[in-house]
Amino acid sequence: MSSALRRVATAAQPMIGIAALIAAWQAASVIAANPTLAPPLGAIARQIAAMASTDLLNDVVASLVHLLLGYGCGAILGLVLALLAARSEWFAAILDPYVEFLRPISAIAWIPIAILLFGVGRGVPVFLIFYASLFPILVSTLDGVRSVDRGLINAGRALGASRRLVVTNIILPAALPSILSGARLSLGVAWVAMVAGELVGADAGLGWRIMWYQEFFSMDGVMATIVVIGAVGWLLDALLRALQRRLLAWSPTTGARG
Amino acid sequence: MTVAVLRLAGVTKTFRAPRGGGDVVALSGVDLDVREGEFLTVVGPSGCGKSTMLSLVAGFAQPTAGEVLFQGQPVLEPGPERGVMFQDYALFPWRTVMGNIEFGPYALGVGKAERRGRARELIQLVGLEGFEDRYPHELSGGMRQRCALARMLANNPTMWLMDEPLAAVDLQTRIILQDELLRLWGDGGSAKRSTVLFVTHGIDEAVLLADRVVVMARRPGRIKAIVDVNLPRPRAAQRSSPALAELVGRVWDLIRDEAVRAIAEETN
Ligand SMILES: Nc1ncnc2c1ncn2[C@@H]1O[C@H](COP(=O)(O)OP(=O)(O)OP(=O)(O)O)[C@@H](O)[C@H]1O
Ligand SMILES: [Mg+2]
Repeated sequence: MSSALRRVATAAQPMIGIAALIAAWQAASVIAANPTLAPPLGAIARQIAAMASTDLLNDVVASLVHLLLGYGCGAILGLVLALLAARSEWFAAILDPYVEFLRPISAIAWIPIAILLFGVGRGVPVFLIFYASLFPILVSTLDGVRSVDRGLINAGRALGASRRLVVTNIILPAALPSILSGARLSLGVAWVAMVAGELVGADAGLGWRIMWYQEFFSMDGVMATIVVIGAVGWLLDALLRALQRRLLAWSPTTGARG
Repeated sequence: MTVAVLRLAGVTKTFRAPRGGGDVVALSGVDLDVREGEFLTVVGPSGCGKSTMLSLVAGFAQPTAGEVLFQGQPVLEPGPERGVMFQDYALFPWRTVMGNIEFGPYALGVGKAERRGRARELIQLVGLEGFEDRYPHELSGGMRQRCALARMLANNPTMWLMDEPLAAVDLQTRIILQDELLRLWGDGGSAKRSTVLFVTHGIDEAVLLADRVVVMARRPGRIKAIVDVNLPRPRAAQRSSPALAELVGRVWDLIRDEAVRAIAEETN
């Protein structure tokens, strides 16, 4: 196969899955013959187009604001806590039970308390996103920092690196693959938590829009919003993946040149 | 009378066994004086404490008993005057060839233009021109080795600590790198040579390179004998000399028993 052809084939691979899904949905909607339960593709597409010319942008922006606040704080705090725990044994000992206790609890379980605390509005989704994104990056960063090859640290010290230089120029880059994959995991669960929080505890955003359509019994609208949620989530992950490829060009496994 | 630039006096190093059991005595009462500018090679069966000895001199670890003195001072931590070349290279995978080589001068605060210049010189010296912007994983084993060598040399260390630096390359490459290493060290008779502590499994290599060969024994790790190599330099011309072959035979006689016992223990 020529390389141009192969490139086209590689680009087409994900399309095959999408095409199969679309075909299956269309078949289901024909068989069900119930536009409320399984609206046909045409209806969903029309709905998305209609939304695009009205509220879609507002909904997406509202969701992204929730995400930016919650994920920004959660990911940064997770990163900082992990770095502190990696530096200090006793801080790690204090942190560990909290992390191990809180981490398995789904962010969704906190919804009632979050509503009580923040009331319906921006607070609920932001808190849930914050909670969900805190742990994956924390655990992954800590793992990464702890498993840095001792030999690389020794090499740096023998070359005259100060302790600070060892942290910034050896430990952080060595842990970067773990940090970035933690950031991606965090973003994934953050996106889920965002929709959950907006469904019940917000007054704006894509999740909130789903409930809004449900009240009007508009399954077209619900489905169209779900499609948008999937697409934007995929796009955000693609952005992080691109960042990963860029920053890890040196890595034999993720490197773009490798 | 030349003073020892490096002195090991009664050096013992024990490791706590990871899963209970007795402690592992990696080195036991090792005494060694190394003269300035001397090329010392260290041979011995696997597990006799060669790497441990090197890491004590490098300052990565402290002896359990005894002392390691470098230029008369106890070694408490690593320092740029003692360059290290690791068996697995330990190149920074996120830095290019250039970035790896200039890391030492960078860590010591050398300005960008100067450290670039020095790195370029070294790249030429070890024959890595055209590969400056490659990452370590994009290099062959021999090229990684050259890169690690250049990185070690970038700080102009007065002591070279090398742990099986040529173990992982094919025979032809190894011979070429041996010659290069000798040339860089000043085998042709340059005035100021660095002091070298060179661990190897190759007895031929040990004799070819060395002023003295340290033969170690294990359980516990200790120095069994030190063999003087009074062959003329440059050594590249001595590869097939009968005197060298005879010395190789002598070193081999010294470690054969140890090696046989080591294999027997490992297979039991
Ligand atoms: N960090 C450590 N913890 C526990 N035991 C260790 C440690 N480092 C080395 N040892 C033990 O000390 C002994 C000497 O190890 P060392 O690596 O110095 O041997 P070596 O002569 O370099 O062997 P090789 O030729 O296989 O590289 C071995 O029995 C090894 O298991
Ligand atoms: Mg070793």
